[in-house]
Amino acid sequence: MPRTCSFLYTLSLTLLSLILLSGTGLSLEFKPYGRGDFDQIAQLQENRPRIIHYWSVICPACIAELGQWTKFINEHRDIDIIFINTDDDEDRERAAARLEKNGLSRATHYGFSDSFVEKLYYEVDKSWRGELPFTVLISTNGPRVNVTGALDDPHFVAWLNQLNGVKK
Amino acid sequence: MTYWRLFLFTLLATISIARAQEAAQPSVNGGESLNKPAMAKHAPPACSDPKPDCAMTIYPAFDKKGLLWVAYSVGKTLYVASSQDQAKTFSAPTTIITLSDGIIDAHGDARPKIIPLNDNSLLVSYTTRPDKMMIGTIFTAKSSDNGKKFSTPQPMLTSGGQRFDSYVVTPKGRIFAGWLDKTHAAQAKAEGKEFAGSGVAFAWSDDGGMTFKGKNILMDHACECCRMSAALGRDDLPVFAWRHIFEGEIRDHYAAKLSANSVKLIGGRVSNDDWAINSCPHQGPALAVDTKGAWHIAWFTKGKNRQGLFYAFSRDEGKTFSTPEKIGDDAHAPAFATLLATKKGLYRAWKEFDGAQTVIPIQQSNDGGKSWSAPEILASTTEASDHPILVASRGDVFLSWGTHKEGYRLIPLRLAKK
Repeated sequence: MPRTCSFLYTLSLTLLSLILLSGTGLSLEFKPYGRGDFDQIAQLQENRPRIIHYWSVICPACIAELGQWTKFINEHRDIDIIFINTDDDEDRERAAARLEKNGLSRATHYGFSDSFVEKLYYEVDKSWRGELPFTVLISTNGPRVNVTGALDDPHFVAWLNQLNGVKK
Repeated sequence: MTYWRLFLFTLLATISIARAQEAAQPSVNGGESLNKPAMAKHAPPACSDPKPDCAMTIYPAFDKKGLLWVAYSVGKTLYVASSQDQAKTFSAPTTIITLSDGIIDAHGDARPKIIPLNDNSLLVSYTTRPDKMMIGTIFTAKSSDNGKKFSTPQPMLTSGGQRFDSYVVTPKGRIFAGWLDKTHAAQAKAEGKEFAGSGVAFAWSDDGGMTFKGKNILMDHACECCRMSAALGRDDLPVFAWRHIFEGEIRDHYAAKLSANSVKLIGGRVSNDDWAINSCPHQGPALAVDTKGAWHIAWFTKGKNRQGLFYAFSRDEGKTFSTPEKIGDDAHAPAFATLLATKKGLYRAWKEFDGAQTVIPIQQSNDGGKSWSAPEILASTTEASDHPILVASRGDVFLSWGTHKEGYRLIPLRLAKK
């Protein structure tokens, strides 16, 4: 086998391997989320509306709507959306698998890295005890809205309608 | 030439697949933070030694000789240890199992348990969640040599999915087990039907937990995210309390006792909070039955009719409940109540957090829950902590509480004067 052919053969096999590996999903990174982080994450970028969504693998309601979040992101590219997984490290792999399965690998993800969860909840909402899904809705059009419940929760829908109404 | 063709084909395929994947993914809205360095300094992870101080959850129980037993997990290993001096020192832990697949369900409302039995044997329970599934399997193991060795853990059931088990033992030694069971939910899913929540299931054991009989789902549609609580009725039948999913996704509470023939649960709705929500509160109720047979329940809600932590009692076995009474200071998010009934009185404790410090207030009632002493702060911490649990031994009452900073503590309650 000539050297050039050998090189191209090896390169091809490498690329084919990469294709096969990429079929298992893109790598997913969870940024650490601890005390004091919420205020920074809640900062709007260029006044774009922002949604911060807290979820867990032991929350069936959260899992059930991950697919709807994929659709929501595609339909609302004008909104910055941040996902925060509230599980322990030992559940993080299955959290990643759930996100990848629902096509959310490339969204922005944080994971709880601080076991003082009362403090993490308190920094977001003084009355939050950890119920999920929990979503924070921020825009320049009105006060921040905290929603316990799924994407179809009336408070979420109302915030979105207000956002759309102002833009129209 | 063949190799050039193979190379070009592979290169094009790689580019096409990469583009297809990009198109299939939602846009990276808010992705600016991906490139930021890790932000604030976080608390160090819990220690990894096999001792109660390093556990996220700890379950305490006294045996009839007054020895304290605790069940807890660190990582993927489940341990049991005992203390003769009220948790000042512990025996070398006994390892029950180290999981090779999945994790031990030991977080928040879910935790391994230890049940000292009348014949001085011990029963341990824990739930595993396999790596690729969200549903759990409940296992039990037994020790007849004072906790030195435990039998090979046996599953309560091998299919369907179970979580949030609880146990009560009658004076004659019958063990009642209750748990939340996803079997009916799985069947409905397989048939393409909608199904809300889990079933409320139970079984009993007359051989000290070696085998459980009569495994059955007695009611459907319990909220699958919250613990179920159990207490023994005055007639030696188990009473269960759980968050139920009523029509319209209303997640209020239900309490019921097993019928004498073990075929149904008889009780009623604790209160009409009207919390219509498609979510996981991750906070189940507390339950106690006092010496007169009255049921006492504490729970958390964010319903239309009331929000916060509440308490009520029933003196007619769940037919009616007293008007819900608010517990704690709403400004400090009271949560995770624990109830205990002894011959000396009734006790309730819970968690409050003011933004910097978590405290455990406790109250005592000497009139069956009609009135309560002023809240007294029994313990505090400024770091992460487990849920509080009230536990009794020979008439003495203790707060069992694991905190990251102080470690595991068993704090005796000085009985309040009314």
